[in-house]
Amino acid sequence: MATHLNATPPPDAAPPSRGPATPGRTVNFKVRRCDGPGKPGRWETFAVTVERGSNVISCLQQIAANPVTVEGTRTTPVVWDSGCLEEVCGACTMVINGKVRQSCSCLIDNYAPGEGDTITLEPMQKFPVVRDLWVDRSRMFSALRRLKTWVPIDGTYSQGAGPKETPDDQEIRYKLSECMTCGCCVDACPQFLLEPDPARWETSFVGAHAVSLARLFNEHPTGRTLAPHRLEVLSGHGGINDCGNAQNCVKVCPKHIPLTESIGQIGRAVTVHQIKKIFFARPDPHAAAKGPG
Amino acid sequence: MTPDLSAAAPIQRPSLFERHYFLLRRLHSLTGIVPIGVFLIAHLTTNSAVAWGRFGLRGEFPDMGVRDGGVAYFWREVLWINQQVPHLILIEVVLWLSIAYHSVLGVYFAAQGRCNAHQYRYQDNWRYTLQRVSGYVGILFIFYHVATLRWGWTWLVPGGASWDHQRSASTLAAALRGGENFTAAGLAVSLFYFIGVSLLVFHFVNGLWTAAITWGITVSAGAQRQWGYICAALGTGLMLAAWASVIGFATLSPAQAARVEDTARGQPFKVGM
Ligand code: SF4
Ligand code: SF4
Ligand code: FES
Repeated sequence: MATHLNATPPPDAAPPSRGPATPGRTVNFKVRRCDGPGKPGRWETFAVTVERGSNVISCLQQIAANPVTVEGTRTTPVVWDSGCLEEVCGACTMVINGKVRQSCSCLIDNYAPGEGDTITLEPMQKFPVVRDLWVDRSRMFSALRRLKTWVPIDGTYSQGAGPKETPDDQEIRYKLSECMTCGCCVDACPQFLLEPDPARWETSFVGAHAVSLARLFNEHPTGRTLAPHRLEVLSGHGGINDCGNAQNCVKVCPKHIPLTESIGQIGRAVTVHQIKKIFFARPDPHAAAKGPG
Repeated sequence: MTPDLSAAAPIQRPSLFERHYFLLRRLHSLTGIVPIGVFLIAHLTTNSAVAWGRFGLRGEFPDMGVRDGGVAYFWREVLWINQQVPHLILIEVVLWLSIAYHSVLGVYFAAQGRCNAHQYRYQDNWRYTLQRVSGYVGILFIFYHVATLRWGWTWLVPGGASWDHQRSASTLAAALRGGENFTAAGLAVSLFYFIGVSLLVFHFVNGLWTAAITWGITVSAGAQRQWGYICAALGTGLMLAAWASVIGFATLSPAQAARVEDTARGQPFKVGM
């Protein structure tokens, strides 16, 4: 069972620790700044005194309290997004030392154990920057709407008790359900590119998280009723075929969700779905696209 | 976020490309294995006969050494393919069309991604990058290979050798070396062959590995790993065959190969044939 206060960095993200960290040392934060959408970016460096157990968010709070760069210039506070502060909401995701991860669970003692060490903070690369380290991840949620990753229970009458579940299925789905839509998987994916125009999200790659959540709800006894719709969308442009099997997603996912297995599973489901369409029935894809839910 | 229903966009029928996206993608995957991959295996088996053919001669030409025996075996194999295999031109056209389809769609699909292996230095990510690089180089290589040795664009061959299936070994060696002896341009061609064939072997076995995920044959991480071992073993074998072929012909003297061809044929060729 996974713990929710999961402070372990994703594999490969943290440099090997160089001995015990000294409390009260100064760490430099090199931050990629941007004043707003479409504005030019710039680098600013801040020196922060860190304590044992400090994380990136607590250091950003110190910078916000006294936004003065190492050159002594007073500047605006660095903007970032966060919510839970315990790695379950995904809002604080950013690129730290070149790799994407949550900043709330990023411990300074692992990343900068020595006096004067530098940590680089950049916004995620595949989403439009709102300001500084704060990005707009709407496209991820749009992909979930496109795939209807939910259990359809709305109706005019009671549908009674749900079907029985086996513990084995529950265990598989529990892991998949831990996805927090943080965006690490798509930020590291070479097939998922920055696309600020929402009009083009209908044909751009849905991303590993959406593929995995489609699997989660396709395997749910009631969520299954929308499976034909999901598989139809996943067959098309931006669906499962757009994955290039680089398998970065599974390596950077902070929840260790077996994303590449979900990709293989959905690949199989889509293959079967399309073969069934040829031999058994020919549902109109547009009717399916407007299906229940 | 509430959708704005007042100004519903007119429903557009998706383009032909979008409607048949699945079919186009899976056809791209399939053509890479059948016929292209299957042909690659057959082609490398034939060509590497220059290295192992002596042991397949079954007692014929007992005086020939490993080198000459390999040439004789290869020569006979090529003659058999060109004279006995039925519907050869049909097979070739299907192959060319498949390669053209796989190339055009491959370049288009590859253009939809941005390699980031310098940032996320995982082995799988390097594979992803190399799959694209090997595709691009492979297209150039196959075009050069087919244009010079099959379509007779001899102006692209150093020394101007023209490949002839009646004299398959000697003309191939001459095309690789730039003449009887190595020229600088010949060395460049041989090197291009070495790199091109190696990249194509990688492209094929890596494509075979990812195709199993795409089609949903290998789902679990364990299944993907084990299929990976099988692909790696196939790749090692094909790579050895590829290197044996290129090195075997690049180090072959065209004059000596021509003598072996005459012996194998039982009578010398007329001059200028
Ligand atoms: S699959 Fe993992 S990396 Fe991707 S959004 Fe979900 S939790 Fe984040
Ligand atoms: S396996 Fe697919 S989804 Fe995951 S990083 Fe690679 S291309 Fe992206
Ligand atoms: S603030 Fe919720 S994951 Fe970091």
